[in-house]
Order: sequence, then C-alpha cells, then structure tokens
Amino acid sequence: MSNHGRRAVAGAAVAAGLVLLAGCGDSSPLDTWNPKGVDAQKIHDLQWWVFAIAGIVGIVVFAVVAVAVVKFRDRGDDRVPKQVHGAPKLEVAWTIAPAVLLAGIAVPTLAAVFDLTKQDDPGFEITVIGQQWWWEYQYRGSYNGQSLDGIVTSGEMVIPAGVRVPLRTTSRDVIHSWWVPALNGKRDAVPNRFHDWNIQAFEPGDYLGWCTEFCGLSHANMRAHAVALTPENFVAWAKNQQKPAAKPTDPTALQGMGVFAAQCARCHTVKGLTQTVKDPTTGAETEQPVIAAPDQQLVSGAAPSLTHLMSRTSFAGAKYDLKKPGCTNDSAYDQAYVTGTAGNCLNRADLESWLRNAPEMKPMYAQLNDDKKYRGMPALGLSEQQIDLLVAYLVTLK
Amino acid sequence: MAIVEKPPTPLELAPAPVVVPRQAFGLYKRPVSTTGWKSWLFTVDHKKLGIMYGVAAFVFFIIGGIEALLIRLQLARPNGTILSAQTYNELFTTHATTMVFLFVMPMGAAFWNYFIPLQIGARDVAFPRINALGFWLFLFGGLFFYLSLFLGGLPDCGWFCYAPNSGAVFSPTNGVDFWAIALQITGIASLTGSINIIVTVLNMRAPGMTLMKLPIFTWMVLVVQFLLVFAIPVISVALFLLMFQRVFGATFFDAAAGADPLLWQHLFWIFGHPEVYILILPSFGIVSEILPVFSRKPLFGYPFVVFSGAAIGFMGWGVWAHHMFASGLGPVSVAVFSATTMFIAVPTGVKIINWIATMWGGKIRFTTAMLFSIGLIVEFTIGGLSGVTHAIAPSDWQQTDTYHIVAHFHYVLFGGAVFGIFAGFYYWWPKMFGRLLDEKLGKWNFWLMVLGVNLTFAPMHISGLAGQSRRNYIIDDVQGPWVTSMNLIATIGAFVLAVGVLIFIINVVKTSRGPRNAPLDPWDARTYEWMTTSPPKEHNFDSIPPVHSIDEFFHRKYAEDHDTGEIRKVATAEEIMAEQEANADKHIHLPSPSYWPIVLASGVPVIGLGLIFSVPLAIVGGVIVLLGAYGWALEPSVADDTDFDPPAGGPSKELSTVG
Repeated sequence: MSNHGRRAVAGAAVAAGLVLLAGCGDSSPLDTWNPKGVDAQKIHDLQWWVFAIAGIVGIVVFAVVAVAVVKFRDRGDDRVPKQVHGAPKLEVAWTIAPAVLLAGIAVPTLAAVFDLTKQDDPGFEITVIGQQWWWEYQYRGSYNGQSLDGIVTSGEMVIPAGVRVPLRTTSRDVIHSWWVPALNGKRDAVPNRFHDWNIQAFEPGDYLGWCTEFCGLSHANMRAHAVALTPENFVAWAKNQQKPAAKPTDPTALQGMGVFAAQCARCHTVKGLTQTVKDPTTGAETEQPVIAAPDQQLVSGAAPSLTHLMSRTSFAGAKYDLKKPGCTNDSAYDQAYVTGTAGNCLNRADLESWLRNAPEMKPMYAQLNDDKKYRGMPALGLSEQQIDLLVAYLVTLK
Repeated sequence: MAIVEKPPTPLELAPAPVVVPRQAFGLYKRPVSTTGWKSWLFTVDHKKLGIMYGVAAFVFFIIGGIEALLIRLQLARPNGTILSAQTYNELFTTHATTMVFLFVMPMGAAFWNYFIPLQIGARDVAFPRINALGFWLFLFGGLFFYLSLFLGGLPDCGWFCYAPNSGAVFSPTNGVDFWAIALQITGIASLTGSINIIVTVLNMRAPGMTLMKLPIFTWMVLVVQFLLVFAIPVISVALFLLMFQRVFGATFFDAAAGADPLLWQHLFWIFGHPEVYILILPSFGIVSEILPVFSRKPLFGYPFVVFSGAAIGFMGWGVWAHHMFASGLGPVSVAVFSATTMFIAVPTGVKIINWIATMWGGKIRFTTAMLFSIGLIVEFTIGGLSGVTHAIAPSDWQQTDTYHIVAHFHYVLFGGAVFGIFAGFYYWWPKMFGRLLDEKLGKWNFWLMVLGVNLTFAPMHISGLAGQSRRNYIIDDVQGPWVTSMNLIATIGAFVLAVGVLIFIINVVKTSRGPRNAPLDPWDARTYEWMTTSPPKEHNFDSIPPVHSIDEFFHRKYAEDHDTGEIRKVATAEEIMAEQEANADKHIHLPSPSYWPIVLASGVPVIGLGLIFSVPLAIVGGVIVLLGAYGWALEPSVADDTDFDPPAGGPSKELSTVG
C-alpha cells in the first residue's frame, strides 16, 4: 500500500478526534509523516497503523457513548433501571483484551527501537554539537577516498545521499536536540554525553530541522539543515572544505579582511586567515595566522567557523538565508555547495543587518555576564563603511 | 487536634466530669471567632479550608488562563510581535507551573478537604491545624512565586526547568530561585496534607464503613495521597540540589564539573509522572460519583474501578522515562519504558469502559454535572489514545517536544482533570453553599468549553505532526501552511474557552445573589456526604449514621432486591436527616481555631526570600517558623469554654458562617 493510501486509511480512522495531518509534500518541510530517509521510513512504517488502531478504538468508544446517551436517556417515564453492580467475568475480559492488543503492538515497537539504534560504518562520522543558538558539525574519516578529517561547518550538515551516516551528538552548554523530521526522529544534545545515532537521506535535497529541546532565549531561532548531495558533489564539497581560505586579491576585500581580523576573528575561525605583524624591535613584517579565541569571549566557547561561509546557504543559526529567494532551483542550489553562493544570489540585506546589530535580528545576550562573556553575538558597533568592507571580504570565503 | 467521636453507647452512665486544661501563660489563648474575617484566618474547619483552597485555586486558574491567552495571541500569526522572546519564555513557564501546582492540585485539595470527612462520616480531619498550615503554605507559596515579577523577573526556564539551563550561568536572574523555592513551599503543603488525609481515611471512618464500602471519590483521593507521599520528596530533593547549586555553588548539575545533566531529568520525572496521576485521579473520582447518580445505577464494577485506580498509582512509578525517550537513554531503557507505558493504558481503559457500562441500561439525566462527566469520558479518551501513540518510542522520537504532545496533555488535563473539576462544582455546589448553580448557564458553560477545548487542542495534533516544536516564541511561514493555519484556529478556540469560563463566573455570581434554598438532596444522590444539611452544620453530623453497604445514603432511601435488581423507595432524605437529628450526640467537641498555622506558614516565604537575597533574612524567617512551632505545641488543646461569647439565644449547633 502506498504512503498515500496508508495515510488515507489512517486519516479516516482518526477523524473523530485525533485529526490527522495531511501535510502534502514539500509545503510542510517538517512533516513527520513524510519520510525521506531510511530511519524516518522505519518509524513511519511502525507508527501509521498504531495511529489507525488508536483512531478506530476512539471511534468505537465515541459510538458506544453516543448510543448510550441516546438510548438510555430519561424519557420521563417510570422505568427503574436494573441496579447492576458489575460483571466480573466481563470486566476481566475487557482488562485482558486491551493488554493483549498492546502486547501485539509492543513486539514490533521494541524491535524497531533496537533496529534504529544499530549504527552503520561508511568510513566516516559526524559530530553534531549544539550551543546557544546554532549547530556545529565536525567530520572525521573519509568517503570515496576523499578525507573529511578536520572539516568544521555550521548551520547545514552536508551528507552524501543514500549513505547512512553515524552521528555523535553533544553540547557545549545546555541541552539542545537535533531534529530533521524528514530523515529521523530527534536526539538530545547533552553536555558531557555523546549520543550515537544515524541520519540518511534517500535523495539529494535540503531537509529542514529545528532544535527541539528548550535551550533558552533564542531556542525558536535555532534551526538545522541536513543537505544531501550526490556522491560526486559531496566529494567536491569536501575537497573544497579541506582548503584554507584564499587570501583575496580585490583591494576592498583585502581591507575587509583587515576589519575581520580586528573585529570578528576574536570569535570566528577562518582557516588560513593571516595578518601582517610588525616585530616591534626589528621592524620586520611577517604574516601570522589569526587564531580565534571564542573560549575567552563566549560562554559556550565556540563561534561558527566561517572559512567557507559562502558554501552554505544560511547563517545565524540557519535562521536567515544567505541566498535570495530567486536562487533556489536545484542546479543553482547544488552549485552553492560546491563553488559557493554567487554574488548575484547573496542576500546582502539580511547579512548587513546582522553585522549592524545581530541581537536585533535574533534575541541573544549581547551584554557581558559576570564572567565577562557573551551568549550569542553582540552588536559590534561597526560603521557602514566597515560593514561594506566586511561583506566584500565574506563573499570571498567560498 | 480532633477528638474522635465514639458512637452513642446504650449504657446509662453519669456524664464524665469535663476537664478544663490550664491556660499556658495566658498568652496562648486560642481564637474563638465564629464570624468575620478572623473566623477564616484562624480556622481549622476542613470545610472553610476547602472553600479557601477552591477560591485561591480558581484565581490562579484565571491567571494561568490569561497567560495562555497571551501565548495564543503571540502564536496566532507567524513572527508575532505581541510578546518578546523573553516574555514568551516566562509566560509558558508560569502558565504551566500555575496550572499544575497552583490550580489543579489545590483544587483537588479543595474538593477532598471539604468532602472526605463528610464522605466517611468524620467531623474533621485527623490533624486540623496541619490542614490549615497546608492551605496557608500553598497560598504563600503561590504568592511567593508571583513575587518574582517584582523582584527580578518571572522564571523563564520552563515548568520542568531542565539543567544545565537552570544553573546560575544560564539563568543568572532570580526567576529560577523563585520557581524552586515556591515549589518547595507548596510541596510541604502537599506532603503534610497527604499524611493527614491518609490517617483520616484509615482511622476516622464511620462505624461499618470498611475500605471496600468507601465512596469511590475517597478511594481515588486515598491513592493520590500515597502518590504524594512518595513523589513530593523526590521533587523536594531535586529542588534542594538545585538551590544548593544556585545559592551555595554546589555542582550537582554542573556539566563543567563532570555532572550528568540527565540526573535532573530523572529526578524531575520520577516525581513528574506520578504527578500527572495526582492531577487526574481526583477528577476520575468525581465523575465516578456523578455518573451513577445521574444514570440511576450503581457504579459498574466498583472493585475493578478501585483496583484500577490503585494499579494506576502503582504502575505510574514505572513509566517516568517516557518523558526522556530522546534524551540519550540507551535502547534497553527506551524499550522497557516503552513497554511499561503501553501497559499503563490498561487500567485507565478499564475505567472508561466501566463508566460507559454504568451509563448503559441506566436512566440518564443531563444535568450540567452529568454533561461534564460524559465530556470527560470523551475528551480523556482522545487524550489517552494519543498518549498510547507516544508510548511507541520510535514514534515518540518524532513526536516528543512537538505540539502533538501539547495536544495530548491538554486533552487529558483540560478535557480530563478540569472537566471533572467543573462537574464537581455543579454537583456539589448545593451541598457546599445551599444554592443550586443555574442549569441553563451551566449548559452554555459546558458546550462552550467543549467547543473551546476541541477547537484549541485538536489542531495541535496536526500542527505537531506537521513539525511544530514546543516552546518557540514565534512560528514561521517556513514551517508550512498546516502549522500556521492550525495555530490560528487554536487561538480562536482559546478565546471560546475563555468565554466558557466567564459564563461559569457569571453563574457563580448570579447564584450567590439568589436565595439559599437548595433541597437536602437535589440529585437523589447515593453517598454519605449527602446525609448533612445544605450547607453542612459546623460539626457535619448530629450523629454518625452507621454504614451497612456501599452507597449507604442510597440504600437508606431505597430497598434493593439483589436478585432482580429492582429498587423501592422506603425513606426520603428529609426523614433520614430527621432521624439523625433525633439521635444527636450530646457532647460534640470540635477542634478549636488556632493562630499558629498561619503564623508558622508566614515564616517560610521569608526564609525563601532570605535564601535569594540575604541570609540574615532567612534567619528571621527561621525564627518566625520556630516561634510558630512553639506556639503550636504549647497552646491549649481546646479553647476555654468561658472564652466563647455564646450567640444570643443560647448555644447552637448550627453553622453560621460558611458560604
């Protein structure tokens, strides 16, 4: 029976009270009844008929109540109802029957719990790290000969389509929960703990997710994406991610790089970023790598790595799009992952607003706490010129 | 202190000399007012305390309801701007905390404080001053909670306040401290009250009332008290650990120090799951009383309903981690708790079937109380069935922390617990206040609430399965049209519900202006508490009628032929009351009012404020508590007879102040 056919049966069965969703296709990107990965499919295969049984039981109960209140209402006559105190044999039967039904449901349920927990080993794994209010993804291993070691990205987790990827989920501060409904259930991200589970997408695409464990002020703004690329595109993506950021040639972008090194690099890492340092005694100038120190600035100790910012399609904890709405067709989309969001596709307005005053765009703790640390990105007080320079630099981070 | 009455003895004995205890220092006279505000402030009468519990709980219901309406206004449209993120997070925290701890639990206490002694033939509870202490601690705890609004901000961590978010680093303001201490204070009220009720029910029943002849409401409440006795200490421990961390720098939940944050979740939910049965069982008890009366048939399968209640209470301890399926427990834990959660549906299902079997073959009168009871059966079934779908752990990995769960618990809490409470209002109002609530307004109340509950919470099943997660201060267009449209409908439904509640308030006000002319037995009821006047006299019963069967009152009015199941009327309620009055006990001693419960209770929030702001203040609070305890221990056990001003016309046994 097709998914649609199953859903129709289930929908009819729960109509009377458990009104069931009918989220059709991609208009409901978070639809939990539209599996697009093998784990979500297994959950769906288990749950739809349980919902159907629940719906049927509900309808039967309502029908019996309806019959009772109509048939046995007081019609103003002299009838005296028989004072029945109980029927023990019947009561035992209707205690045992639901228990047997539930036992029948329990068996495939418990089997599914263990099945979904088993992990595959495709040669690599992704550590999913939550912090207030964004997700970081760290890769380890290799795929199709391409090393993934050292790849650190945020906002979107990129995976090869068709591969069941082992995940380890943890947190740097409070409890979060990573959830992309189309691909799997959710798993909490807890500090001091690593939770092993899996993610897999049947087809290439962008799958939307959300943090689903209340994690403070901007919990509502902590989104996640799982982006599945074709195996070839994934290898190309990984190859690009391994490269450090190239030093820009454009003079405006070079000035922007200076602003970045002075302002943003306190927290944000860009691999390969260097700045000219003059030795005070000899006067010699050398290029020194710029090391970000988010542990000194942020309670969580980390800020998103921006080395390949333009290879992503969202920013600010995936709340804002890096690309304009017009640039969402498939080939332009995949291109962004492989070669970076093109200049004409860039959502300059939101990016500039973010640089101008990030806490206005997303509620965060912009004031230093008692330990002189932030939770989230503060408003930096940049001038419009500095913002223009910065954007010119950021677009080079492909 | 209560004095247990002995049944009148047939022997002719000279009355024992009355012993007058010596006054201690003359400072500890007990208060003696029977009218005015003093008679409420220092009362130990379970009926007055029940009414005060009810009024306070209802006020908190309105507050929690307004918080809900604000939340719904914010979520009516995508990217709402009515509430900031901070305010929204505060409101969903206070809404849930208020509804669970300051409305449903105390409203249950209102009903069981008022009616347990009446249902078992006692003149008060075993420890009346502890009863009063419980009320004042609840009230002061609730006020303390809302004091946070003026002293640093409401708590914003959610009603479950998970660690590490509850720690000082992530919740630097005082909101969490107020939350934790307020719950600690109300927890003392629940714990002392539970011991009180257990002792009362086990020791102070009328002659002949064996446990299997207890009215079913009393049985369900007895199970609730045992749940409280074991559950409240767990949350108390969790709250102590949290307060030690926040106030004194302990590291119980501090991940940086190596703690496992899941510890808080386990402690909270080991309390939290029995808590939900604490919330629902009193309402189950209420409708178990009402359905037989308005079906004119006894409760079907009384022993099974009793045992299923006890089974729910017992099995409720084995399911807590179903709140934690996605929290990182291993597959064995998840599988075990998934199975136990499925099986706890069995005793609840038994109740639903037994209730329907009670109505089946009956002669149903659709009073408002009966409508709410039937409504509970239907709405709770919806909530219970969606609950069974959550028990399937892999499915819950999708559903947990979405609005599908919000839909479930609002159906069982509003459609279950609150409907039971409203049924109890309409059923017992004439007994408590001597006036019948208007039935026409009652029907409007009921139908608007049914429409409101379904319009508000049914769409959440859909929006949850469409992926709307919980505790988000905004919804967004990107979540899709099912999320946005269902939220708009839910907001409309919430206001329909509000109108329904408003109609109830209008009904109460209108009724209070009418004459106090309710008959003794307006519903032709079945249980013991109806063998009192409306409202009951201060001492409840002139004499304690002995018990020969379940539904003792019914069997005094009707003779039942057990073979044919036919009944024949043999006495009216008035005749039964006249017989009781004719056999009135000669000496009825009631527990005297006391200053000390409210004095002692007032010191506790001062300790709380001291823990938050200044340790010397905590010491002051401690001294008040200590003085209150000394006063309590040293006051005379009864007020001296010469302290009373007898009412003009001589001593009277009539209650003059309730209502």
